[in-house]
Amino acid sequence: MPFNSQTLEELTFRGEPDWLRDRRRTALDAYERLPMPGRTDEEWRRTDVTGLDPGKYAKLEHANGFKQATPDLPKGVIFEPLSVAAERHGDLVKPLLFSAMHPDRDRFAALHAAFFTGGNFLYVPDGVVIEEPILRQHFSHEGGTTVLPHTVIVAGRNSRFYYLDEYIGDEKEAGYRSGSAEIFVGEGADVGYVSIQKWGRHAWHLADQRARLERDSRLRLFNVTLGGRFSKTRVEASLVGPGASAELKGVYFASGEQFFDFHTLQDHQVGNTTSDLLFKGALQDTSRAVYAGLIRIEKGAARSDAYQANRNLVLSEHAKATSIPMLEIDNNDVRCTHGATVGPVDPMSMFYLQSRGIPETTAKRMIVQGFFGEVLERIPFEQARTLVETELEARLG
Amino acid sequence: MATVPKVDVGTDYKEKYGFFVPEDYIFKAKRGLNPEIVKEISWMKKEPEWMLKFRLRSLEMFRKKPMPTWGADLSVIDFENIFYYLKASDKQSTSWEDLPPDIKKTYDRLGVPEAERKFLAGVSAQYESEVVYHSLHEELSKKGVIFTDTDSALRDHPELFKEYFGTVIPPADNKFAALNSAVWSGGSFIYIPKGVRVDIPLQAYFRINAENMGQFERTLIICDEGSFVHYIEGCTAPIYTTDSLHSAVVEIIVKKGARCRYTTIQNWSTNVFNLVTKRALAYADATMEWVDGNLGSQITMKYPSVYLMEPGAKGDVLSVAFAGKGQHQDAGGKMIHVAPNTTSTITSKSISKGGGRTSYRGHIKMYPDAKNSKSFVKCDALLLDDESRSDTYPYNDVDAENVTLGHEATVSKVSDEQLFYLMSRGITRNEAETMIVNGFIEPFTKELPLEYAVELNRLIQLEMEGSVG
Repeated sequence: MPFNSQTLEELTFRGEPDWLRDRRRTALDAYERLPMPGRTDEEWRRTDVTGLDPGKYAKLEHANGFKQATPDLPKGVIFEPLSVAAERHGDLVKPLLFSAMHPDRDRFAALHAAFFTGGNFLYVPDGVVIEEPILRQHFSHEGGTTVLPHTVIVAGRNSRFYYLDEYIGDEKEAGYRSGSAEIFVGEGADVGYVSIQKWGRHAWHLADQRARLERDSRLRLFNVTLGGRFSKTRVEASLVGPGASAELKGVYFASGEQFFDFHTLQDHQVGNTTSDLLFKGALQDTSRAVYAGLIRIEKGAARSDAYQANRNLVLSEHAKATSIPMLEIDNNDVRCTHGATVGPVDPMSMFYLQSRGIPETTAKRMIVQGFFGEVLERIPFEQARTLVETELEARLG
Repeated sequence: MATVPKVDVGTDYKEKYGFFVPEDYIFKAKRGLNPEIVKEISWMKKEPEWMLKFRLRSLEMFRKKPMPTWGADLSVIDFENIFYYLKASDKQSTSWEDLPPDIKKTYDRLGVPEAERKFLAGVSAQYESEVVYHSLHEELSKKGVIFTDTDSALRDHPELFKEYFGTVIPPADNKFAALNSAVWSGGSFIYIPKGVRVDIPLQAYFRINAENMGQFERTLIICDEGSFVHYIEGCTAPIYTTDSLHSAVVEIIVKKGARCRYTTIQNWSTNVFNLVTKRALAYADATMEWVDGNLGSQITMKYPSVYLMEPGAKGDVLSVAFAGKGQHQDAGGKMIHVAPNTTSTITSKSISKGGGRTSYRGHIKMYPDAKNSKSFVKCDALLLDDESRSDTYPYNDVDAENVTLGHEATVSKVSDEQLFYLMSRGITRNEAETMIVNGFIEPFTKELPLEYAVELNRLIQLEMEGSVG
């Protein structure tokens, strides 16, 4: 069963309206038309996908997200599987779905848009505040399959809430996974979004997380990447209204032969906007990480403030990290700073701890904990923080 | 120049008459690029056969290589509308008095003789492709230091020349290195013997002076073990109406324990395309320092690089770029760590004004053998108005173990507090901004010899007043 139009038509996307089917068809056209990214594309120069043939995993696993905990949702809130929402609330879903994430950006985005397998739609009306976080788990149960959940979050004016997407798989074989999200943050809204990627260690993961921020809104996005043999995630925020503020944070811990790629964009389209990005990762064994991030300040975007940093702690002699922080600044009335570091554990810190009788492994562990501590504090809500801390603890061993 | 008689070189002139151009005639090649032009250049210079072959092979490579698809827009360059070789005067001058009057006048304005009187050991000034004025301090000659123009070096030191020429930057390196290899002319050749330290900077002034003329100088510096030299290259050019191309190649070899510093202040007129390949090889415990200031030109693409070949090698790039109206300075640096325990730093300061664009483009590469190496990159950009643009593209490839790599960059404007402070003391806004800009590039200026620091500050002042470019 290859990824072709026949498969698309045969699949019973039950309850999906015609407009959505049309969109899937258009995305499939893009998938068939677009070439496989190669080493000559700057974005893929350090990210080798020659071994990836999504067609090998063309068996779809549907996953709308397991309802781990859904708080009592206030009146007016819509929280449904995406396909259901597309049918029942087409007026809301249709203009937004794949408007932030572009299916024709590359072959993998197109594949995701053509065959996305469930996911959720959350709409929080104007002024509604949900104190309890909404937690969602997405599972892959077997290897050799494709799992493509897609989350769409719409925050009405002055709404406030927290959302967590957790992607879990313990499969022993390779498979193709994504976990994409589009987040629309309305005027004055305040959204905390956390994603934790824990697919199996043999999976290919390619995802887009894209947010659009209106006037005076705030987004705190936290990306945790732990799973997959290959993981490429694009985290991108467009600030389209003055006063918007995006906090984009991430942690990753790679071991074995894992390869992680992060591509971030802080797109300041208007002035008086703020973005603050920090991605921190630790690398063990023969793992590799590639980070490429861009701050773009458009011509009229005066009085913007942007920060971007990527820090890599290389724990083993054979692990490697590449970090490329980029700036494109088209306005002078701004404050932009960025930085990147790649380095091993500081021998002075190790010496200090060991001189106090702390064994080497414990000392190293303490340093890594301290390294992550700074960014873990920025996880927007308690449950997610505990979850991430536990995961990292387990991996630090 | 209009009074200089010209010789029309027909394509079959050479074959027909078997001789060419009396000594007192001036040769001006035709526009355009083809094997005949290249053959003529080589023949004019009475070069050995291997150099002619090298040039023709390079021309072939230039034809085959694609234009770079990144960086600045180079599509406007018309390679067929450029003079590839010009000779202002066919006689080498040995003293200042012997120089032709109009050339002398130009240099007087640049302050060359004064600078020479003050501290320079030797002056080698390039005027329209050929070194016309050259002197070297006697003491240095005695020590075995060679400081000459590259053409003379090919003639007078053929073995040394052939051993190193084209070994750091082969013609196939990139399209513009291939172009330079095909039509190169002039430039400096420096050889510093083992253990010799040249305490006074060696200097050459370059100028483009004929409209539509390409300048393709070729510089080769060899620092033998334990030696030291500081070479200074300054460029100024008058403003012309049609585009000019400057495409130089600079090759430097710094052997074990030696140190070389190469200082450039480049102030091409704002219609010049400045596409330069500069590269140094640093061997065990050697130090290579590029001090690179880019003020003029329409487009500059220049990334001085250091290949750290053996343990303990050290590379430094200190770069300043100023882009005014219509200018794009795409500059930066490259550090290629090949061996373990190597260190490098790149410091870049850029200023954009009046719609100008500065881009920092850098590359740090650490090969698998470059264990325990360290690299640090710092880029600061100052945007003086809201029409201007600044970009930072640092490419970092780390394949080595146990390395430390850091990158930091900031982009800002002239702070209102600083302006207010200065203006409250009766300083005009323009003067205050100039002072702030001069303060911003101070880490660069303080590395320059005094004369150059003064000149740079004056150039910045002119740029800030908007009277230049």
